[in-house]
Amino acid sequence: MTTEELKALTVQKSVDARGTACPGPLLAAKKAIAEIGSGDIMEILSADEGTKKDIPKWANKKGHEYMGTVEEAGYFKIYMKKG
Amino acid sequence: MEENKKMCMALHSGSLDRLTAAGVVISGAAADDMDVDVFVLLQAARAFKKEIADDYDKLPMTENQEIKEEFVASLKKLNVPTWIEFFEMAKELTNVKIHVCSLAGKMWDGEKMEDFIDLVDDICGIGEYIESAQEADVHLFI
Repeated sequence: MTTEELKALTVQKSVDARGTACPGPLLAAKKAIAEIGSGDIMEILSADEGTKKDIPKWANKKGHEYMGTVEEAGYFKIYMKKG
Repeated sequence: MEENKKMCMALHSGSLDRLTAAGVVISGAAADDMDVDVFVLLQAARAFKKEIADDYDKLPMTENQEIKEEFVASLKKLNVPTWIEFFEMAKELTNVKIHVCSLAGKMWDGEKMEDFIDLVDDICGIGEYIESAQEADVHLFI
């Protein structure tokens, strides 16, 4: 997906994990995914470099769909769809 | 359903830095849906005592005691949970069991469950550790 397409997505859940370092964002994502339904889209806001690789890998491994990452000023947004 | 992968951790160290590292590793394993058995051995059992666990003044560093202040300040600045909080989060996410070795407990005057923080699930012998280690996909000694 392009950055524009990602930005235009309607998300069912937004997790702001910018205040935490690794493994905080991953743990926050793991908790939050249990609160949404199959097919729902979740975004995770993080400023932790390790998370950029961790969450896409984790998402795909757990049967969810990693959709893409959008860079913002000083942080990034990771989009994923629950499987 | 596919069975969860298993991690077995022998937690021997009672040092603040290693306890924190163990907490990070366990919570990472929990995020990956692993079942985790932690065996609290020798010095680690001291750290799990009620009157010690959350008192950073009573927990040493593994080495370089002179950097402890910097270490603690850095964790705080980065908003890193305490080692106990990491263990708690991991337990919320998946099947994490904390076993205190009975000999280790006795060394620090801890013979009963109530001597230890609530994270502890049971007091066990070495046989249970060996069995868990044999079954584990990942085995760590910290």
